[in-house]
Order: sequence, then structure tokens, then C-alpha cells
Amino acid sequence: MIGPNGAGKSTLVAILANALDPSEGHVETRKPPPRIGWVPQRPSHYGRLSPRENLELFARLEGLAAPEQAAERMLAFVDLPEGARASSVLSQGNKQRLSLAITLLAAPDVLLLDEPTAALDPTQRRRLWEIAMQTRDRGGAVVYVTQNLEELERFADRVVVLRDGELIFAGTHSEYSATPDAHVFA
Amino acid sequence: MRAVALLLGKDLRVLGRSSGLLAALVVYPLLVAVIVGLVVRYAGDRPKLALVDLDGLPNVITVGDAHFDVKRVFSRAAEDVDLVRLSESEANRELANGDVLGIVVIPSGFQQQVRGMINSPSIQLRTTQSALATRIVEKVQALVYAVNTELQQAYIKTNLKYVDLLLNGGHGSFLGNNFDVIGLGRAAQELDALSKSSDPAVAAKATQLANFVRQARLALANTGASLSATAHPIQLVRQKSGGRALLLSGQIQAYAIALTLGFVALLLSAAGIASERDENVIGRLARGLVGLTPLVGEKVAFTGVVAGGIGFLLGAVFGLVIEIGNVAGGEPWQRLPLVLFGAVLGAAAFGALGVLIGSLAREARAATLLAFLVAIPILLLGLVPSSVISAAGWVSAAFPFIHVARLLTAVLADTSFAGGFGREVGWLIGLGLVYAVLARLSVRRLLS
Repeated sequence: MIGPNGAGKSTLVAILANALDPSEGHVETRKPPPRIGWVPQRPSHYGRLSPRENLELFARLEGLAAPEQAAERMLAFVDLPEGARASSVLSQGNKQRLSLAITLLAAPDVLLLDEPTAALDPTQRRRLWEIAMQTRDRGGAVVYVTQNLEELERFADRVVVLRDGELIFAGTHSEYSATPDAHVFA
Repeated sequence: MRAVALLLGKDLRVLGRSSGLLAALVVYPLLVAVIVGLVVRYAGDRPKLALVDLDGLPNVITVGDAHFDVKRVFSRAAEDVDLVRLSESEANRELANGDVLGIVVIPSGFQQQVRGMINSPSIQLRTTQSALATRIVEKVQALVYAVNTELQQAYIKTNLKYVDLLLNGGHGSFLGNNFDVIGLGRAAQELDALSKSSDPAVAAKATQLANFVRQARLALANTGASLSATAHPIQLVRQKSGGRALLLSGQIQAYAIALTLGFVALLLSAAGIASERDENVIGRLARGLVGLTPLVGEKVAFTGVVAGGIGFLLGAVFGLVIEIGNVAGGEPWQRLPLVLFGAVLGAAAFGALGVLIGSLAREARAATLLAFLVAIPILLLGLVPSSVISAAGWVSAAFPFIHVARLLTAVLADTSFAGGFGREVGWLIGLGLVYAVLARLSVRRLLS
């Protein structure tokens, strides 16, 4: 999903995540509804809790059977530093990875990523895409918002373009490439 | 319910890691409570008044043979009012400026009327329309009462000298006229002698008059007590007993606890709900982990637990101070569970209001500031007696503070508290529910 600033990308992702009610229209979901994981643009966790405490809390809220083990697994999976340091003192990249780890706790079928790589270094970015691809390879879907056309070209199967809250294009990447009107950053 | 408990645990853990904030939340409102208590206790306690002496009063006025100590009366009055001697023009200017709150004027001819003992002299009092006018009138009335008491003693003493003259005879003077009086004692002796007269008519008249003189002497002998009783039909005798100091009274305890938990609860709940948005977690929670209604409930419960606990702790500390100090009356320990109940219920009602404030402000810093700005008038309004400004009573009834204060007063100070306790519990539950519904309606703002 691409579009200039203020196009409504983050709002649409929040609506898809069921975190916001649409002012018009509705979201159709298949039955049984898929588990949806959402990584908002800004890090989303409790700053005064350590990464482990955050993960254990959300694992319990998700109703996971073994929250401590799930937290342990996720810390290793996203390669977050151990320790009791408050999450608020983590680097921006680590905060973003903690948000992703919290989202992945529930093993979502659909992963909604809102500009997930903006604060990540190249290594972390590569790791994130590995995780995203694993979700797709499991039969799930990844919807991601980006301003990075290289990422769009490399990872997107379908492209959605928004401008001023309006959908101006939806199609495969090759269709997008063949539609100059959809190139809002041109 | 499990999700609410998990979030409650998280909030308590986070608060426990902010010990500085927690200490400030307790110490600051307590400090405010003490300052407000002192202001309420001592504001206008010793108002500054101008004394304009148009008669040039001496230190002592002589009434008959008795002396009226003017200086002593005014120095005693200085315990209640700050009397400053000024000229009339200076006094008028300072009253207009507000430097003095009233002018006490001793008019010319005052001494002459005091000495004359015929007309009552007057003292004039000029005040403005200030809020303390009633209090100043009371203070000056107390001053006039003190002057009257002194004068009555002087008048009675002088009058009794005339009575003594009537009884025992001698030389006297009144209004500048000198005279000699035979006195009832000698008159009785003379009449007794006449009653032995050989003339039966003279003897009979003399006996009759002698009887009257004896009765008159008996009656006059009681004049002193009668005059005192007439001058002071009722006397106020002050007996000091070892009761509680003002700061340890049940009512002050109740207001201090209510003030503290009001501050703590409003700030905690407003900042608590807004920080869920600041940390960008509320969207994650609202997606199904914790609904918005349970989230509001959790913040209300969190506030009830923390602020209610602090309120209860304060009640217990007050009780310990009273026990250690062996203060008369003691602490009603058996009612302490009701203090806990009242503090938790009151804190929860404040918490619902705080969540509403936090939802409207949306950001934790703005929410804290807004909660602080809202707390000050709500809490101070509850301290204004509704008998003075009835509108203050109506407005403060719409907020939890006055109901918490009354509930705790009923528990800590009232002999029979069930009626007042039940009414205030009803108020707090009702207000808490109304604010909780409003908070639930506005909390959606945090998602956008």
C-alpha cells in the first residue's frame, strides 16, 4: 500500500486491524475470521515494562497457554536484548522489533505492517522481511504500507495506491508498473 | 475480567516503579490540605481595624469613685483584632484602599456620657461590603461586650457606694451636688427612740416607719447581688478540657483524606487512560484483547485501589497519631473498615471523572494538567460552606469531593452515622456511574 503523506494509509490499516471504526463502509471477513496481527507505525508497547514483561503481559492477554515460554521464544526470534531494562530506553529499531514480536505472539494469519522498516537498519530490515515472508508462505497474507518503492518492487504481489483518502489503483505489481497514472511519487 | 486483572497488575507494577511520582501524589495534596486548613482556620481571625478616637480617651476613665481602665480593655481586644490608631481621614483612606477592614469610631462626648451614667454612649463601626464584614461586626461586638462588662463593673461599684450611703449615711455628691445623708441605720435608731414617745400617735407612726426602714435596709443589703444579676443575666464560663486539637478532629481528618484522594485519583486516572494512547497500545487492546468498557472499568478500579489505599493509610496514620498522643476521644478503630470502604468508593467515583478528563485531553501531559486544573476548583468549592453561598453547595454536589468528605466525617466524627453514610454512598455510586458512562462514551476519542 503506497500513497503520499496524508493519503489515509495508516487509517485504512487501523480499520483493517479493527482498531478504528470506519466512518463509511465496512470490512468483510471470511468465516472463520483470520487472526490478524497489526504493527502500527509508532512502537506500541508499555515503556516502563521490560521487553520480556511486555511480551508476557500480551501473551497472557492473548490467552496463550505458556506465556513465559512464548515471551522467551519471541525475544530470541526477533533477537531482542535480554535484561530488565525498560522498553522506553531501547533504540527505535528495537522498539519496532518489540512491537512486531508482540504482534507475532498470536501467530497471525494476516499481518498488517504500517511502514515497518522505517526505523530499522539493513540487517533488521532483512530479518523483518524474512518473518513477513514466513507468514505468506504459511498461507497467510501480509499487508504493508511503505514509502520505499524498492521494497514495493521486491516484495509486493499486489499494489494498492491511495491519494487523499481515495483508492486510485489496485492490482498486481506488473499492472501497477504499466499504469503511469498510479505512480503518485513520479 | 481476567484481562482487567492483568491490566490492573500492569498498572500497579508501573506505578510501583514511579515511587517519586507516588510520593509527590501523596505529599502534595496533604500539604495543600494543611495549608487550606490553616487558611480556613485563621483567615480573618485577627482583622485589621482602624481606631479613630475623636474624644481623646485617657488611659483610665473615672466613673463615680470607680475607675474604668480603657487601655486594658483595648489591649485585651487586640487578641481578636489588630486595632491601629489613625486619624479619621487616614482611616477613611485605608478603608477605601482595603488596608483596614473597618473603622471603629469613638465619637466626641463619649467620656462625658460614660461619666454621666444617664445616657448610653455609642461606638460607631464602619465597614465595606467585604466578605469578612460579618466577621468584623462579630469581633467589634465582642469588643463592645468587653467594654460594657468593664463599665458595668464600674457602674455597679459606684451605685453600691450610693446604696452604702443610703444604708449607713455620710457625705456624698451626685452630678456636682454635695449632700449629707443620715442613712437608714441612724434613721432606724432615731425612729426607735421616737416609738417610745409618750404621744401614742407619734409612737405608732414612728413604729410603723421603723418597720419600713428595717425592711428597706434588708432589701438594700441585697442590692449588690441584684445589680450584678441584672447586668449579667447569663454569664459565660469557659472551661478548658483536654479535647482534640483542631488538626486531629474527625472532620479535619475527613476533609484532609478526601482532598488527598481527590487529587491522587483525578491525576492518576486521567494520566492512566491517556498514557494508553501515548504508548500507542490502546488500539492493540481495543482490537479484542480488552474492550473499551472493561478498559474504563480497569482504570476506575486501579484508581479505587491506589487512591483508596492511600486514603485508608492516611486514616490509619491519623489514628496512630491520636493513639500515641493519647488524645481525648481516641480513634474509632472499629469504624476503620468503613473508612477503607469510603476511600475506595470515593476514589473510584473520582477515577471515573478522571477517565473522562483523560479521554477528553487525549495526551497524558495534557490530561495531567487538565485534571489538576479541574481538581483545584472542585476541591476548593467543596470547602465553601453552602450556608454562605448556596450555589457553591449545588455545584459541589455534582462532584465526588463533598460526598467523600461527608461520608468520612460521618464515619470518623458522628455518633450516629448510618443515615449520612448511606446517603453519601448513594451519591458516590450515582455520580461514579454517570461519570463512568460519560467516560466510556468519550474514550473512543483515544483511538483516533
